Amino acid sequence: MKEIEELLFPDDVHYAETHEWARDEEETVVVGIGDYAQDQLGDIVFVELPEIGDTFEKGDQFGTLESVKAVSEIYMPVAGKITAINEALSEEPELVNLEPYNRGWMIEIEPDDPDEIHTLMSGTEYMEMLKGAE
Amino acid sequence: MHDWHLEQGARMALFGGYEMPLWYPSGAKREHLAVLAGAGMFDTSHMAVIVVEGAGALDFLQLCYTKDLDACIGKKDKGPLVPGRCVYGVFLDELGHVIDDAIVSQVSPEVYMVVVNAGMGGAITRHLKGRAGGAATRINDLTDGIGKMDMQGPLSAKILSRMLRDPGRVFDRMVYFSFKGFFDDASPLADAVRLLDGTPILLSRTGYTGEFGFELFMSSDHIGRVWNMALEAGRDFGLMVCGLAARDSLRTGAVLPLSHQDIGPWPFINNPWNFALSLKDDKTGFTKRFVGDEALEKKTYSEYTYPFAGFDMRKVSPGNSTVVMDSNGAAIGTVLTCVTEMGIDRVGDRICSIASPDRPEGFRPRGLSCGFVKVTKKLACGDTVELNDGRRGIQVLITDDIRPDRSARRAIKDML
Repeated sequence: MKEIEELLFPDDVHYAETHEWARDEEETVVVGIGDYAQDQLGDIVFVELPEIGDTFEKGDQFGTLESVKAVSEIYMPVAGKITAINEALSEEPELVNLEPYNRGWMIEIEPDDPDEIHTLMSGTEYMEMLKGAE
Repeated sequence: MHDWHLEQGARMALFGGYEMPLWYPSGAKREHLAVLAGAGMFDTSHMAVIVVEGAGALDFLQLCYTKDLDACIGKKDKGPLVPGRCVYGVFLDELGHVIDDAIVSQVSPEVYMVVVNAGMGGAITRHLKGRAGGAATRINDLTDGIGKMDMQGPLSAKILSRMLRDPGRVFDRMVYFSFKGFFDDASPLADAVRLLDGTPILLSRTGYTGEFGFELFMSSDHIGRVWNMALEAGRDFGLMVCGLAARDSLRTGAVLPLSHQDIGPWPFINNPWNFALSLKDDKTGFTKRFVGDEALEKKTYSEYTYPFAGFDMRKVSPGNSTVVMDSNGAAIGTVLTCVTEMGIDRVGDRICSIASPDRPEGFRPRGLSCGFVKVTKKLACGDTVELNDGRRGIQVLITDDIRPDRSARRAIKDML
């Protein structure tokens, strides 16, 4: 297990308390799980994602992550409609471990409110939250 | 060893009162696959070692342990346990409930080594001492003085060959469930297996992965040094250190129970492990009397434990809130273990492993969920049940075996 200082929390994404990240791509928001969550879960062996066109509220469960040991829920960091899912994860779920912020992305959302993403935490705030939980 | 695991960046978790590595940064999947196709090494120092000795030791174990030590070796288990051989069985209470499972090794006709699970050394020692009448049997818990590590996987013997004095002699006719050497330098058996630096070890061709491999017992003073020696010896063979997660998925694929989870405070019967009992050939009763036998013979217990395998890697969370449902949707039981076995997948109507000689070309398994269910209804191989943990339901097939083509019983001459 990595120390918090060894984990990567890039500042080009926003973080939810439930450990998802969200990246503002103007028209859409791209979502995955952060380095902390993937490190805690261990090897991801399966990712269950929603259908394109599904709509969810902020905080709704949109999928599940299957690690070697357990099944975990993943939650919407902002409300919106699913416009794309990362098909590559069905063949290579380990991308979530290897490149959580890039090739390990999970869903693309058309947000109901483009400003909602700014209610999430910055990388620094998120790291402070994790340290507080230690 | 604990500091070493932390330095490697292992994810740790409490297990049987010990903080143990769950997996290392390489990840449980690669660790699991290494044991199927190469070699993996486990720190198993947390397991407990008890020595039962004395003129009454054999009779005493015959009373307390399910396996018939007078009929457990060779064809159809007809021969008695002899020095250098070991067997798997369980310790029951009067209700036929499992206290723990154990491998019993006969060091000499009056000395037996009993290996039980983490944190169980004290409980089993007390249980046995409570039954040992007189001075004819002495029971000693050696747990704190003994270090143990497991080298598992088809390349295990090749790696150990680089660590042993005279490996040809050590491995000569070393069959499955046999051992040589001893961990105490003062024992006349110690010269049978020494490492290159002279360290005496007890080398046992056992393990709990279903794969070819060994358990190494030694004085706990030596474990750190021997561990490093093994890492060095294994470097050219891709030896991988493995944590408890890989051990759990490996043993499940091999249809081996985890004590206190798959076997526990209910009668040890109607399960896939009746080879641990001393059943008569016609299965009408037992070849000897032992603690718990009468409870098992009453046959009033009507729950059944079965292995299952799913259709993909999706799991459910085991536990009391997870139900097993039959094809009519009736709730019939609970899930004891559910893991993803990462080395296997379905090919048509059979299961293939990465080690199957007849696997299709380019076979790349995605893994299958598998484990054990305990149900109130008799099921047959091939029956479909649904496991539902309230979050998801998965269809699985009741089976008698999970991971095919395991290497545990292969001839040692083919593995050197």
